[in-house]
Amino acid sequence: MSNETGFAAWLDSRMPTLKREWNRHMAEYYAPKNFNFWYYFGVLSMVVLVIQLITGIWLLMSYQGSSEQAFASVEYIMRDVDLGWVIRYAHSTGASAFFMVIYLHMFRGLMYGSYKAPRELVWIFGMTIYVALMAEAFLGYVLPWGQMSYWGAQVIISLFGAIPVVGEDIVQWIRGDYLISGITLNRFMSLHVVALPIILIALIVMHIIALHDVGSNNPDGVSIKKHLDKDGNPIDGIPFFPYFVIHDLVPIVVFLFVFCAILFFMPEMGGYFLEYANFEIANSLKTPEHIAPVWYFTPYYSMLRAVPDKLGGFITMAAAIAILFVLPWLDRSPVRSIRYKGIVSRIAILMLPAVFIILGYLGVKAPTPERTFLAQICTVLYFCYFIGIFFWTKMESTKPEPDRITMDGGIGFWRTLGAVLVVALLVILPIKAVGAESGKSCGTIDCDPFEAQLSNDASLQNGAKLAVNFCMGCHSFKYSRWERVANDIGIPNQMMMDNMVFTGQKIGQLMSIAMPADGAKEWFGATPPDLTLVARARSPEWVYTYLKNFYADPSRPLGVNNKVFKDVGMPHALLDLQGLPECMPGPVMASNGGIKRDLMTGADILDDPCGRFEINKAGAMSAEEYDVAVYDLVNFLTYIAEPMAEQRKEIGKKVLLFLLLLLVPTVLLNREYWKGIH
Amino acid sequence: MTSDGVNHSRRKFLLGATSVVGGAGVVGAAIPFVSSWQPSAKAKAAGAPVKVNISKLEIGARLVVEWRGKPVYIVRRNAESLAMISSIGEGVLADADSESAKQPGYVAGDARTLAGKEEYLILVGLCTHLGCAPMYRPDVGAVDLGGDAWLGGFFCPCHGSKFDLSGRVFAGVPAPTNLEVPPHMYESDDVVIIGIDSEVA
Repeated sequence: MSNETGFAAWLDSRMPTLKREWNRHMAEYYAPKNFNFWYYFGVLSMVVLVIQLITGIWLLMSYQGSSEQAFASVEYIMRDVDLGWVIRYAHSTGASAFFMVIYLHMFRGLMYGSYKAPRELVWIFGMTIYVALMAEAFLGYVLPWGQMSYWGAQVIISLFGAIPVVGEDIVQWIRGDYLISGITLNRFMSLHVVALPIILIALIVMHIIALHDVGSNNPDGVSIKKHLDKDGNPIDGIPFFPYFVIHDLVPIVVFLFVFCAILFFMPEMGGYFLEYANFEIANSLKTPEHIAPVWYFTPYYSMLRAVPDKLGGFITMAAAIAILFVLPWLDRSPVRSIRYKGIVSRIAILMLPAVFIILGYLGVKAPTPERTFLAQICTVLYFCYFIGIFFWTKMESTKPEPDRITMDGGIGFWRTLGAVLVVALLVILPIKAVGAESGKSCGTIDCDPFEAQLSNDASLQNGAKLAVNFCMGCHSFKYSRWERVANDIGIPNQMMMDNMVFTGQKIGQLMSIAMPADGAKEWFGATPPDLTLVARARSPEWVYTYLKNFYADPSRPLGVNNKVFKDVGMPHALLDLQGLPECMPGPVMASNGGIKRDLMTGADILDDPCGRFEINKAGAMSAEEYDVAVYDLVNFLTYIAEPMAEQRKEIGKKVLLFLLLLLVPTVLLNREYWKGIH
Repeated sequence: MTSDGVNHSRRKFLLGATSVVGGAGVVGAAIPFVSSWQPSAKAKAAGAPVKVNISKLEIGARLVVEWRGKPVYIVRRNAESLAMISSIGEGVLADADSESAKQPGYVAGDARTLAGKEEYLILVGLCTHLGCAPMYRPDVGAVDLGGDAWLGGFFCPCHGSKFDLSGRVFAGVPAPTNLEVPPHMYESDDVVIIGIDSEVA
């Protein structure tokens, strides 16, 4: 080009490949003008990939891949590394975001027939990326070395044991040990950090090259290459750069807004992105009460559980993924897009996501007979889609495809909303029908409500005092530092040193205790757990209720029992404050949820031998004072489980405001570039 | 508006606005990645100030304590040595007044100590040349260090740099500046804290 100047010309004469490839993939890559909302998720998955790569590189700077150090090093990143928690939450949120956008991206392909000839290779590379991503996610989930890391890995690796004859040998070979150990962790780290990212990037390059060689599909599913202008470019296409690059900026900013809202305001996402049990360190002798994989695996996990046979379940699960690979040859329809397919296809395309979401929901829940039955139905329906498509695409009558793409060919906003509602109903109704699980939220009783006040320094200070005096005889807070606690909750360092920090420890040190773990196990039957993260692993409500429900039980070795944690090996540490509650007959709940009353007198029926407590020998505190003390203690435990929680929200508000600001020029820019394009 | 129907100035302005705001966003997003490279709470705790009891240090003796992983030398000098230090000529030392030396503002004079604490020399025991730990050589007239001209001081075995008993570098050796004096303060006459600055009166 003649208008090339200086450096560009110099570069082009020496390395023409750069310009050639830039033109091929960006400046002269013509993409159909009628891309809609569903076409955003490809570029968004690239955004997430970049987020994951960068945050991953930074996490590895502080993470230690040994079974002794892994869990502690994650907490080190969360607490001790400046703003390390932003990087860690970005990575954990990114993992879920990746699957979110990939699932939507895949669904787009299903709707518009993007897998059909000539794009079979694009689809197969994409599916391979999906499988590699699942492996990457699984391996990465093991690295924090929490309880769910450990037991999730245990379950998934054990799946290979279902393979006949060689199964058990393969399982042992994958672990490199007789159990999942530091050896397994090490190799998983190497795969997660080095091998799979390289494979993923290579596959993504192939995916895009394959796509650009045949050209992008579009919502109408018709080729734009039939109608060319005098320069030989498609009249229905428009160069990817600058038009689609600018077009994609808007969804990127919106995506980042949602991403940051999760990162800064609900990084655990209700236990779906970061599972609560994973805040407890891996323990090879104790499975968590409720074990479920992270949400993006649960549809397949449901299928696994739905089949009452080990090998059968494994095969079903593998087949559910494998069948996607051959989809290009199963769909025999003469048209690509759902817009022109027949009625059966249109119903099926709504059923499939509903079935997939139901399976996903069931996978995070504990199985009941009804739920297993629903999972079985959904598994069958899932396969019905892929087997049925082979037949109905030949039989159903299709609408004629237009000659050129249409700019208003979809079903429009309201009918799209209607379709989403239909899917939502298809999901919610069956789930409601199989009912919720019964059971109490806190052991044998319901949890008491608890609302933390993380900026109430007086409460936190009192809680810290109680924790040091009554808990730290046996429990450590070894992921937290004295100095951080002192600074965060407003205790002068010298006062902290004089009154709280144990002799011989420095203020900058971790809050460890002198009691040896082995001895503790002998004395109590179990090592008293570290309490730094107990409020995250259990929930503040649970800890609060637990501390209020010790009662005298002479049959127990320590003379006390607990309604929340039955037969716990812990003495009533706050006995001197509360006094010893003793069981008294109390009212019982009727099956309808109310209290059982005598029909004649209206008085409560006291059938529960331990329905209420009575304190005969008073402690140092009244009942009200004790409640306040326990509140303060649990408030402190909540604080120390996530000491940056308040800061997180403060930064989050600013980030979200900034992204709103960024949205303004982005939207205007997009409108300016696209206003003349019809 | 130009003939091709494109408002170039508006495009340019919007591109600029988006780039500026987006650029600010990139800078903001870089903050956690940059600040995560700062010393962590763990590093800071390990590098916390060190308390040293110097009451048992004998005259002429040297104590080595660790602060932030570096050796800190504490040498107790007598009046004789201090007099000798003051007498060393400008020609022998490269920076007799410690003008380009790394030392706190409250440290002054040929003795390079707090006023009234001239007896105790406190130095970071790392050569300013390439970071070896210099040897403490108080033996006046050591033959291998120049015989009679050697009045006691520090000698770096790596590249032969010499320092006097105040850690001041000799002229004509590889080390560019005097040995560093770390921040320190006296909690009492007997206890010095390395790593905290004295309050300047």
